[in-house]
Amino acid sequence: MNNTFIQRVKDEIAQAWTVAVKDVRVYYLRPGMIMFGFLMPFFMFFSFSVRRELGAAEGVARLLALSVFFTAGAAGPFIIPTERRIGTYDRLLAAPMSLLTLLLGKTAVGAFFAIAVSGVALAAGVLFFGTSIAQPDLLIAGILLGAFAFSSLGLVFGSIPTTNPGDVQMPSTLLRWGLLFISGVFIPLSEMAPVARFLAYLSPLTYAQDLMNHAVLGAGLIDARIDLAVLLVSGVLLLWPSIRLHQRARALGR
Amino acid sequence: MENMIDVEKLTKVYGRPGTGTLAVDEVSFQVERGEIFGFLGPNGAGKTTTQRMLTTLLEPTSGRIVVAGHDLRDDAYPVKRQMGLVPEESNVYTELTSWDNLMFTARLYRVPTEEREARARDLLETFGLWEKRDAKTENYSKGMRRRLSIAMAIIHQPSLLYLDEPTPGLDAQSARAIQDLIRELNAQGTTIFLTTHQIEEANQLCDRVAIINHGKIATVDTPERLRQTIQRVQSVEVALEPDGATHGPALEALPGVTTGVKMGDKWRLYTEDPSALLPLIMDYAASQNLRVVSLNTLAPSLEDVFLEITGGQVGTIKHDNPEDKPRGRKPGGRS
Ligand SMILES: Nc1ncnc2c1ncn2[C@@H]1O[C@H](COP(=O)(O)OP(=O)(O)OP(=O)(O)O)[C@@H](O)[C@H]1O
Ligand SMILES: [Mg+2]
Repeated sequence: MNNTFIQRVKDEIAQAWTVAVKDVRVYYLRPGMIMFGFLMPFFMFFSFSVRRELGAAEGVARLLALSVFFTAGAAGPFIIPTERRIGTYDRLLAAPMSLLTLLLGKTAVGAFFAIAVSGVALAAGVLFFGTSIAQPDLLIAGILLGAFAFSSLGLVFGSIPTTNPGDVQMPSTLLRWGLLFISGVFIPLSEMAPVARFLAYLSPLTYAQDLMNHAVLGAGLIDARIDLAVLLVSGVLLLWPSIRLHQRARALGR
Repeated sequence: MENMIDVEKLTKVYGRPGTGTLAVDEVSFQVERGEIFGFLGPNGAGKTTTQRMLTTLLEPTSGRIVVAGHDLRDDAYPVKRQMGLVPEESNVYTELTSWDNLMFTARLYRVPTEEREARARDLLETFGLWEKRDAKTENYSKGMRRRLSIAMAIIHQPSLLYLDEPTPGLDAQSARAIQDLIRELNAQGTTIFLTTHQIEEANQLCDRVAIINHGKIATVDTPERLRQTIQRVQSVEVALEPDGATHGPALEALPGVTTGVKMGDKWRLYTEDPSALLPLIMDYAASQNLRVVSLNTLAPSLEDVFLEITGGQVGTIKHDNPEDKPRGRKPGGRS
């Protein structure tokens, strides 16, 4: 490896970081982010969990999966169309960095948000319910990889060429609700009919929930290594449609 | 030495070819190193579209762009490193202070840590923003945002700077300050690509000016030579009563008039020397017992300059302003 290559990689990492930090400062306290990112997981949790008998530990595992899932995907669909409308997105597109770097920076924004909110959920679980964490290392790895995968999913919607966040926030929320109901969040995998279980295996959220079960309860239905691998691979694969959509936007002139 | 920018048959169609909008139509031109190159055209001419292609923000439908020896299609990175961009809208982050806006851009362009702050301070002082450096830019005036937007475009000391209509909407003093700054940057060696629809601005600032309309370049020339063309399309507009519309041929026959165009109840008379024409019109009106309802000299319009260069008939382009719209299709003819 020659020096200019290493320097370039260093530059690109620093640029992705710069983009992410800027977005955190500019966008985290916007109503659109709080509404779709912060309140949604807690809302989902309480509306579907209150009536049922649910152990505190199961509840914490579920809340963690939900907060990672909903929060990570909230950033992309809000931030990118907003930036396209104001024109600041051009600054990022014209800067000397690769599209992948920009997308990784944007993925990090959603991921940080998810990590912060699931931290709140975790603290609530530990402080109020005295929940103990069976496997902290899996918990950390699961939150990180889940945050990455679901942020990457949100970014696909954010990459759709539009200047109006409303155009993509609803579809992306609908998709996430759809995923939510086919995944093993509200009904454990072991209690599902075979067809439903097959569907559940298609959703990355199933693996995130299973990981949280491993981490908090100490037991899941799938091998934790498979859970981690699926989250990592879906996060990487989901960058591809975002790249294509950005190329499309560049041809359309939006 | 090679050119800074080489553009060959650059074309952009928005939407599908055939049914879409042809915004830029096989445009070719060169920008030399160290010059201020003006890109002059009326609204909708294709200026922004061209500039967005040159700055990699928009994918050309066809054609080639080479900047400093690098083909933009497959070698954009070194070009992006040395170009600065001031877009049409001052797209600063309104939630951040001007200081943070500059720091962000400096980091994005990998300006060395030890130089960032000195350069930012320098720029903020030059642009008169130093006192306000810690205020969020949402409260800035239009002129302040524009200046900040320029500062952000040059903090990495680009060798090529694109500006898309940097002065409209600013008061005369702010506009002049920006024009002075462009001159100064150019004197320090920065090649400038300046998009504008103001003839005067192009003439005062640029070494060479391209005139574009309907996606085509009519000419690339020095302001000196353009001035001669521009002179020819100055005009005087006159409304006479009663039945002023019938006096066209006589007005057209006045000395110095090159063409007359009927504009509703007025006549527009093109001439190189409006001040000499005015008394002649007054004399004519007096001799015919006509009342002069209105009499205006008009600055040359870009559409007319474009038509004069391309051999079209001046005064025949539709104007955005409905009061300005010529009704007669054939100049001098009655319609
Ligand atoms: N994203 C777009 N999609 C479709 N058509 C577009 C798009 N952007 C511009 N156009 C059209 O392309 C043509 C050229 O527009 P462009 O913005 O390049 O003109 P301009 O010379 O910059 O004008 P102005 O002085 O108003 O800024 C216009 O007809 C415009 O309507
Ligand atoms: Mg424009």
